[in-house]
Amino acid sequence: MSAGTPPLSTPSKPQAKGLNCPKCGAAITLRTFGQAETVVCGSCHSILDAKDPNLAILQQFDAATRISKPLIPLGTRGKLRGTDYEVIGFQRRHSKIEGITYYWHEYLLFNPYKGFRYLSEYNGHWNDISVCKQLPVVEFAAANYLGEVYKHFQSSDANTDFVLGEFPWQVRVGEHAVVTDFVHPPRVLSSEKMDKEVTWSIGEYMYGREIWEIFKLPGAPPEAIGVYENQPSPVTTNVRDIWIAFAAFVFLLLLLMAGFDMLAKKDPVFDQTYTFNRALAKGEQSFVTDVFELTGRTSDVEIKTSAPVDNHWIYVNYALINQDTEHAWDLGREVSYYHGYDSDGHWSEGKQSDTVVISSVPSGHYFLRIEPEVDPLVPVISYTVEIRRDVPVFGIYGLAFLALLVPALIISWRAYVFERSRWSESDHPPMDFSNLSGNSEDA
Amino acid sequence: MFRKFYLLFGFLTLATAAYGEYRGWSLDSTTQIKNVPRSVRDNPGSYRAIYVGYHHYTGGK
Repeated sequence: MSAGTPPLSTPSKPQAKGLNCPKCGAAITLRTFGQAETVVCGSCHSILDAKDPNLAILQQFDAATRISKPLIPLGTRGKLRGTDYEVIGFQRRHSKIEGITYYWHEYLLFNPYKGFRYLSEYNGHWNDISVCKQLPVVEFAAANYLGEVYKHFQSSDANTDFVLGEFPWQVRVGEHAVVTDFVHPPRVLSSEKMDKEVTWSIGEYMYGREIWEIFKLPGAPPEAIGVYENQPSPVTTNVRDIWIAFAAFVFLLLLLMAGFDMLAKKDPVFDQTYTFNRALAKGEQSFVTDVFELTGRTSDVEIKTSAPVDNHWIYVNYALINQDTEHAWDLGREVSYYHGYDSDGHWSEGKQSDTVVISSVPSGHYFLRIEPEVDPLVPVISYTVEIRRDVPVFGIYGLAFLALLVPALIISWRAYVFERSRWSESDHPPMDFSNLSGNSEDA
Repeated sequence: MFRKFYLLFGFLTLATAAYGEYRGWSLDSTTQIKNVPRSVRDNPGSYRAIYVGYHHYTGGK
């Protein structure tokens, strides 16, 4: 609760003034202690002059007014932003845009020390609204209020078609105003022009569940439909920060890559050239190498196979075998290189060397079992096997880059879709979105 | 929430990349075999690599 604002006495309500409607005789309760200009009979909906001791009728209806039931009953109290308020008035308004009528509801709240403020509700979206403390500056399609820039969203007519309770102005059914909204989610800046009078108000988006908690209403609030003009996006505010973080992470990733590249031993542990001679190749082709030692921490092992293949191939089956543990890593690598000319010109495919990296090989004594297979067209070919210990694997950084990129793209896409949905309902739709979604009538 | 999630995710990704690089992770496919016959040093034919015959002939363009 804000300092110096006593709470409304509970549980008994203020000593409201009891009167009767001069038209239908129903009891009228005045809750604002003379601050109301008009009061509406809850029975016949006649609008009465609250300043008149006899409650003179200001507006009455021959036909029954189309009744609208407020979601928050009049007289309900709740603590909003630290201050106790009581719901004293309710009005339904509408505007007609391109043949479609859009209805929304406004609730007038009153605290005898703080005065009035409003709640508006449209399709389950709520706004806490108060009158601006200073005049906003409007320039082109934006308004500046207290140093914050609000973008123009929509200008439309607002017509009052149902009222209930008390109002501090001369409210009438059929009242017409021109409303212009500027948004800076979660706030909305609205000007309401009626005759020559312009009123500026500032609203802040609220969720239905917050309203229900504040006023301790039974049940659940109506589900919000669509995206409202000043509804805070769950992701939009983060997009810039996400991309800044992404850039920082990529920079760190590059540092990591450079650091590990410098620290990697790239230690050559084996280098041998062998010759495959088909004329001599009878029976078992496999053989084993001398034992070599892999030192240091558990790290990777790179095997490079090179062969002067020219429109041929050689395929080498490898088994890197730990002499002590009888543990092996099996793999097969092909070295092939083809080239030639055709109608498109020169072409080539493959290369004369191949590199493979074996993951996480512990230190120890190892040898290779090698089993070559060679293109039947090649009678003799030599090939070289080189082994290096602890080499950098740049593919890891590529995967990390993708891992960092994907969430940033998803968040950006979600933000884009949300904002597109928001602005599709404005005077500045991003594209012909309504035709794409086909749900403009849902708004 | 998304910012915190992304920051956490980003640091985890970097940490994983650094750990993987330190431990020598690779993206290449190999098959680990346990209990290779001891006789393979004297008789390489006693162990047959599983990739034998798996090669494909590209044949060029």
